[in-house]
Amino acid sequence: MKYSYNWLKDLSQTKLSPEKVAELLTMHSFEIEGLEKGNNNLGGIVVGEILEIKKHPNADRLHVAKVNIGKEKLQIVCGAPNIVVGQKVPVATVGTILPGNFEIKEAEIRGVKSFGMLCAQDELGIGKDHSGIFILGEKAKAGELAQKYLGINNNDSVLEIKVLPDRAHDILSHVGVARELSILEKKNFSYAFDDLILPKKNSKKLKVEIEDKDLCKRYIGAVMENITIKDSPGWLKDRLEICGLRSINNVVDATNYVMLELGQPLHAFDLEKIKVQNEKCNIVVRRAKNKEEMILLDDREIKLDENNLLITNGDDALALAGIMGGKNSGITENTKTIVLEAASFNAVNIRRTRMALGLNTDSSYRFEKDIDPNLTEKAMVRLLEILEHIADGKIEGIVDIYPKKINSWAVKLDLKYANQLLGEKVPEKELLNILNLLGIRVKKKKLLECAIPTYRLDLRTQEDLIEDIGRIWGYEKIVPRPMIAEVLPAKLNEQVFFERKMQDILIGLGFDEMYNYSFYGADDLKKTGLSDGEHLQLANPMNPDQEFVRAYMVPNILKNVRENLKNFSEICIFEIGKCYMLKNNEPAEERNLILAKVLEKDSNSETFYDLKGVVEDVFEALNVRNAEFLEMEKPIAFMNPGRMAKISLGGNVIGFIGEIKQSVLASYKISKRPVIAKINLEKLGEVAKNLTEYKSINKFPVVSRDISMIVPNGVKYAEIEALVKKTGGELVDSVSLFDRFEAKNSMAIRIEMSAKDRTLESAEIDAMMEKIVFKLEKDLKIEVRK
Amino acid sequence: MFIEKIEKIKEQISQDILKIKDNQALFELEKKYLGRKSEFVGFLKNLKNLAPEERKQIGELANKTKLEILNIINGKKADLSKTGSDMEKERIDVTIPGKKRSVGHLNPISIVRRDIEDIFTGMGFEIVDGPEIETEFYNFDALNMPADHPAREMQDTFWLKDKKGEENLAMRSQTSAVQAKYMEKHKPPLRIIVPGKCFRREATDTTHDHTFYQFEALVAGENINVGHLKQVAQDFFSQFFQKEIKVRLRPSYFPFTEPSFEFDITCTVCGGVGCRACKYNKWLELGGAGMVNQSVFEAVGYKRNQYTGFAWGFGLERLAMMKYKIDDVRLFHSGDLRFIRQF
Repeated sequence: MKYSYNWLKDLSQTKLSPEKVAELLTMHSFEIEGLEKGNNNLGGIVVGEILEIKKHPNADRLHVAKVNIGKEKLQIVCGAPNIVVGQKVPVATVGTILPGNFEIKEAEIRGVKSFGMLCAQDELGIGKDHSGIFILGEKAKAGELAQKYLGINNNDSVLEIKVLPDRAHDILSHVGVARELSILEKKNFSYAFDDLILPKKNSKKLKVEIEDKDLCKRYIGAVMENITIKDSPGWLKDRLEICGLRSINNVVDATNYVMLELGQPLHAFDLEKIKVQNEKCNIVVRRAKNKEEMILLDDREIKLDENNLLITNGDDALALAGIMGGKNSGITENTKTIVLEAASFNAVNIRRTRMALGLNTDSSYRFEKDIDPNLTEKAMVRLLEILEHIADGKIEGIVDIYPKKINSWAVKLDLKYANQLLGEKVPEKELLNILNLLGIRVKKKKLLECAIPTYRLDLRTQEDLIEDIGRIWGYEKIVPRPMIAEVLPAKLNEQVFFERKMQDILIGLGFDEMYNYSFYGADDLKKTGLSDGEHLQLANPMNPDQEFVRAYMVPNILKNVRENLKNFSEICIFEIGKCYMLKNNEPAEERNLILAKVLEKDSNSETFYDLKGVVEDVFEALNVRNAEFLEMEKPIAFMNPGRMAKISLGGNVIGFIGEIKQSVLASYKISKRPVIAKINLEKLGEVAKNLTEYKSINKFPVVSRDISMIVPNGVKYAEIEALVKKTGGELVDSVSLFDRFEAKNSMAIRIEMSAKDRTLESAEIDAMMEKIVFKLEKDLKIEVRK
Repeated sequence: MFIEKIEKIKEQISQDILKIKDNQALFELEKKYLGRKSEFVGFLKNLKNLAPEERKQIGELANKTKLEILNIINGKKADLSKTGSDMEKERIDVTIPGKKRSVGHLNPISIVRRDIEDIFTGMGFEIVDGPEIETEFYNFDALNMPADHPAREMQDTFWLKDKKGEENLAMRSQTSAVQAKYMEKHKPPLRIIVPGKCFRREATDTTHDHTFYQFEALVAGENINVGHLKQVAQDFFSQFFQKEIKVRLRPSYFPFTEPSFEFDITCTVCGGVGCRACKYNKWLELGGAGMVNQSVFEAVGYKRNQYTGFAWGFGLERLAMMKYKIDDVRLFHSGDLRFIRQF
């Protein structure tokens, strides 16, 4: 909210500058979001009366004016076309500094001396108009300060305070901030808040009835007669404008003014418009009926239900309680008698109603954060006072319905606990003084019994009090102190450190780390052929592109690939993150790793084998030795079914690897062939916990033999390897593929053989090789090249 | 006289040997110093003419010197056979770029996260994480923010259409949600940090993203106070930025802490004197903190006022931005390799 510095100054009698006020509040109370300093340099601008205008002898477009500024007559050269003899204009005298740091000096313009400047609106910093000199009204007298005729409060500053929900009830008002300021300056607050007491004068014209006492805690109605609706006086308009409100008429402005002063929203009705025929005016506060309709002040038509509270005349809705008045009950220029409302409504109800209807007003903004019901009285007294002055109003009478009076409550404060929580001993005298300044009456027993004033709704627990004591005393006085605690080792988070290891392995293998959003759109589902049924969905997404919570890592990593292909021809990226799903009506999350690799050229599915190698390297680095890559019975929708495998550890599937389907790639406008792998990190992390067990190094020599072969279509390498190992038994240490020529179906494998107890004889090796070759030829119909 | 002569020969060969570039020259050198007609060998032959006393002394020195000369010559022989006879032919351009294996790069958030985790682990904090989809209860109610609490509006939340039974689900708007869950299962004293992904429905710009990484610290025990909060924060930031950092607390409001603070640290560029980086404010706003609200302790089953504790949360991105002078928060989630490869 925006606050007028001058207003705060009037209320608090502070002598501090706007900057000092901002600093003090920042350190002890609230965040200051902005400080707009008024321009105090307009003192050199005076009213000048134009006595004479002559053409400039040396310039067609210039004039030479003689201007009376009271104590002297000045010659001023001027270019504006709009001046006429007799007009009153703002004159910047020599020495004045105009906005933009422009100093007025004695000058000679084309041979004619000029002693000052006649000003246009923009030159005064009060508007954008530069079409001509700003003409002041008839009333202005030569020699007076021009400021008061410029229609602006140039000497005020605007403080913008970020009001947080706990203090909204007292701080969304100038009195609240002024009170705070007085407390910080350790001065008693001079505003006569307690003296604002309703006159005892019952209204004969008004009756008030509250049907729902839970939703309306208090309703004060006052009838004022003899009202003259007119423009508000300048001082009132200025203050509203400084705080960002528009002036409407004296009555409406007065309600807004009191709201800004005390924080209590108020409303004014035209009595003639709301009474039913010639009876007494009857205000009934009730819940709306289902589907009841009304038209608001801003012409909006709304449809209500029984959760909404209305101010009615018994039949028709006059206002949506605490939020906005109705169109047909408001003040017009012909209004003579008014009904003023100062009420206290249920905060939650106001909040729900304004959210349901999508309304947000200065009134609802305050009511929804709760307001002290005792404030209604103070505000009504101030409103009546002001209207007597500025609208010639006469009080006819008042009705105050307050079913359950709110009284001060007690909070017990343990001084020892206060010091212990703050970590610093606040001198008791200072502490008691702070409580006193806060308006808290203290009874000193074993604990301090504190009676909280009702205008501090937020002070409910002793911690609330400790906070106020601490901040007013000054948090800067609290000295940092080391914690004293038992030396206990932090419990290791295995998953965190496993993932770190994974990151380290991957960056070692040349992979760059991506962070993606956890969302994607319906468009991604369409492109990848995924169904919305397997996705959690946001009720309020930022935009349709981020409507679904990701159940798969693939769509976002494909977008990473596409974007990076604009700058790079080869890509190796990974992301570690969560996928989300609903399992048996429970939200479930899974930590996953996704890898994506793109090679500049891929003629023979090298990328697949390249990334498969990476995955194998990762497993080796983690000492996971039992990984298998198996064909999938049921391919994944977005994968190329001929080029994908599931990754299995001891029969437990932990992920997959493969190429993305061509049609999916086309829909993402990716022209290369990325290969991706996805691994469930929780499952892998479990397996990777296993420690390596050392196996003794073979003392006997290892011999290797190569076999080169033509493999019939359909026979897989894994079958060959398995057959060799099965045939060779214990003697075969390892089988590896070391050459492959796909076009001719040719492969070359290397077999390493040894025995644990002897050096193998060449006869034994040859016999074994023969046996292996025989089996390959017989079982797999392989043609071995000899 | 003999001794000087021997020393002179020694000195001479150590200079001559430097000029030798091939085996032929080395052979000539060997002949010059140790050949039958060499000065040194001739000199040795004359030793017999000396008195027995003197002969013994000089003889020893001469023999030692002979071995040294041999060593020098043999050493050179080995060198020449290693590099081959012509070093010029072997010379390569060592300024040509090396053949690089490509090395990958961590996202800067990961780097900063590790730094933080390591500093806190060193202080005995356990690293804890929780689900990113939270029930309304843990994201709000357990943190002293019941339904209709105006403070809920301080955090624009992504709600899910789907529900868990009757309960609403949200993408967690803060890591504080983990607090309650952890405390339900553990009793003080406890020290935890919760780094993790959070979500808020906010318009994005250079300093805001709807997805961000928060970093929560929670300490609970007997007699934990505001001074402790200041010290732990000060120690952490000083270590993180590798310079002395001071912490300043300002009043704030969070439903789950009382008292609540905004905390600022001295500018990491100027150290709190005022500079362009801090816009001459001397302080940088870092995050929210406070003493754990007793209602939060009560909600997890602790007795009111039995324990006290502090908690704070701040954005990891902000730290990374300060550390690496990154000017747009959206880069972290951009996936742009031109960004990632700088770290």
